[in-house]
Amino acid sequence: MNRQIKVASVILAAALVLGACAKSNDKSNNEQPATAVQTQQNESASADNSAIREGTLKVQEETKKLQEAIEKQDTDEVKRLSKSINDAWLAFENSVRQTFPLEYTEVEKYEMPIFSASAYDKIDFAALKVTAEKLQGALENLLNAKQTTGNTSELLAKAVANYKLYVEEQAEQLAIQTKVFVEAVKAGDFEKAKLEYVKARVFFENIEPIAESFGDLDPRIDARLADVEDESEWTGFHRIEKALWLDKSLVGMDQYADQLVKDTEELRDKIKSIELEPTAMVAGAMELLNEAAISKITGEEEIYSHTDLVDFAANVDGSKNVYLAIIPALNEKNPGLADQLDKQFQLLEQTLSKHQTNGLFVTYDKLTTEQIREISDQISQLSNLMSQTASIL
Amino acid sequence: MERDNKQDGMSRRDFLKITASVGVGLAIGASGMAAVGKALSPAQPAAAGAEDEKNERIALYGEHQPGIVTPQQTYMYLASFKITAADKLAVIRLFRDWTKFADLSMAGGTMRTGDNPLLPPSDTGETLDLPASRLTVTFGFGPTFFRLDGQDRFGIASKQPQFLKDIPRMPRERLDPLLSGGDVCVQVCAEDQQVAFHAVRNFIRLSTGSATVNWLQEGFISGGSGGQTPRNLFGFKDGTANSLHQTPDGYRDVVWAGADEPDWMQGGTYMAYRKVRMLLEVWDRSSLADQEDTFGRYKESGAAYGKKDEFDHADPSTMPVGAHVRLAKESKQLIHRRGFSYTDGVDPRTGNVNAGLLFVSFQRNPEEQFIPMLKLMQSKDALNEYAMHIASGMFACPGGLREGQYIGQNILES
Repeated sequence: MNRQIKVASVILAAALVLGACAKSNDKSNNEQPATAVQTQQNESASADNSAIREGTLKVQEETKKLQEAIEKQDTDEVKRLSKSINDAWLAFENSVRQTFPLEYTEVEKYEMPIFSASAYDKIDFAALKVTAEKLQGALENLLNAKQTTGNTSELLAKAVANYKLYVEEQAEQLAIQTKVFVEAVKAGDFEKAKLEYVKARVFFENIEPIAESFGDLDPRIDARLADVEDESEWTGFHRIEKALWLDKSLVGMDQYADQLVKDTEELRDKIKSIELEPTAMVAGAMELLNEAAISKITGEEEIYSHTDLVDFAANVDGSKNVYLAIIPALNEKNPGLADQLDKQFQLLEQTLSKHQTNGLFVTYDKLTTEQIREISDQISQLSNLMSQTASIL
Repeated sequence: MERDNKQDGMSRRDFLKITASVGVGLAIGASGMAAVGKALSPAQPAAAGAEDEKNERIALYGEHQPGIVTPQQTYMYLASFKITAADKLAVIRLFRDWTKFADLSMAGGTMRTGDNPLLPPSDTGETLDLPASRLTVTFGFGPTFFRLDGQDRFGIASKQPQFLKDIPRMPRERLDPLLSGGDVCVQVCAEDQQVAFHAVRNFIRLSTGSATVNWLQEGFISGGSGGQTPRNLFGFKDGTANSLHQTPDGYRDVVWAGADEPDWMQGGTYMAYRKVRMLLEVWDRSSLADQEDTFGRYKESGAAYGKKDEFDHADPSTMPVGAHVRLAKESKQLIHRRGFSYTDGVDPRTGNVNAGLLFVSFQRNPEEQFIPMLKLMQSKDALNEYAMHIASGMFACPGGLREGQYIGQNILES
């Protein structure tokens, strides 16, 4: 997977979530000109958890140093600080998740890509600068946070609203990125088309179950050759995937390319009007993991490009966004499960990161049986845990 | 816990009702699955003479684990697991869950199948209307459980019993490492294949997150439960010599581990496993005389050469050199054989049926009783022309459990 794109998507999605939170938190957000001032103001506001407070200040301090290093374009220092920010965050993130779940989700969204950056040879300073600013903002919100209260149905309604924003953003990005991909296809630029293909796939795989709820739209976009009854009616990403990687000819692909743009735009528009229910959201998280565990881990999704790990990681990521959205409800009803899910997502993300070089996943055919099995065992456990999240409904 | 007379002959349905009334906790277990519900009291020891009953319950608790000297059931699954959990507490949780589930399913019970329609049922449900079917579960631990790549990962390396080592390389073997060995081996046997599969399937489910299944073998054998010697897929009786030690004293001498073994092995034994592919097509084209010469016994009666009845004392000198039974006798050792046949589809290249023997034997000292015999046979056995060993394993099976104990407890906790 292309990392920048992933980071960008995370940022955008989270920005929307943030936006939603900001509305209810307008006052505190409007009066936060500088870190130092903010810190003072909040000393009494939410000092009931001093460990969280201390931890947050520490991460803020490290992030400030990171921002300076980014300005100086100091790669070594950026890498070092990315790690130390992560260490500082891990030291107290569990209690944040339990006490301030909404703010936790925000911090998590910016902190993760910063940590990932420490693993890459080349740092994208411009992208990282934006993320670091967002992280500072999220940390400010955490310092201002008030303990979430509300009954389960309110918490769930909020979770659905937050998740819906994520889904809409992914659909928007899918339409945008598909256009970029299609332009490369129509220009006959194989190399670029292959790169853009992978980027576009991520946005689709993040929200796959939602797309599946729109009748034939999903097969038009995502059918594999094995899924269609009549090969002549086969359209979508995988039709062009075959042209790019197997046929090595883009002749006749324009019609599919144009159709794909139309279809992803239709998906984007339809998603805006859907009413999402908590049960459907939680079921969707399971479907994503099942998808990953069945067709991605076996290499059956991307039989020509072998970019199955990209889709796999996107499914996991999509599922994690449901998890992040339901943390407040989980805390209320089943906090032990939230702990276990948190650990298992971390474990799987670590394992997946072993198969990346500079943010790009190795192709499926490069994985050994043992490596595939390790991933498969970990997603089985994650699915087991995720199947229990319905206990909050 | 209730213990009442109704338990005898209780159906799974009755059992479910009772389980529900005792209030089975639905806690999130280590596996993330609903934890195994609390089992009822163990089944009463089967009444004398009731062993013919294919529906009977067999007790999990006792001096020895079930499924070792238990009269052989018709179906068997053998599953090997690799422990993936790094910490000992997770292993303990898994073994607790496994033990509870073994207790429950051997008694004919199931985990809960549904309180919350939004959650997956705890039990897979395919045995809801089926009897206990003489289900037994037998656990064994491989060398890698105690020490993996030189690492004492659970702090139990000092508990490894003296003869627990991989079977050394043998001539002519063609072992598949993916089908061999493992940290834990679970042998599940029953008179009903669905009951056996239900158990092994749920052992695998319960292991998610703490262990992963390496391999799973499926076996069958008919005629063993009535006290006869069952026949293998070559049509010969297999395990006639078991009759020589089937008394308490005999088992003590042949099967149960010695007093010099660790505490947890008292009442335990060593399980040797070999998967032996049998070349059925070649065998079936061999003359009866060739077949009988290969074994050193008559095919129909099972009697040794020169004898009339299966159990007549065998005289090795009357058998052809290299005859399977002659070599076994010459090794002058006894083992307790409890093998099952297997079939495994068709080799697409040849059209030959993949089939053979899941050889399982229990013995107190594999280095004395089993390995020399195996070596002799791998070098000289006339059967080698028709068979090849394709998988291998050696596991230490702890002694039996007391109620309230879990399997492996006295390895992990003392």
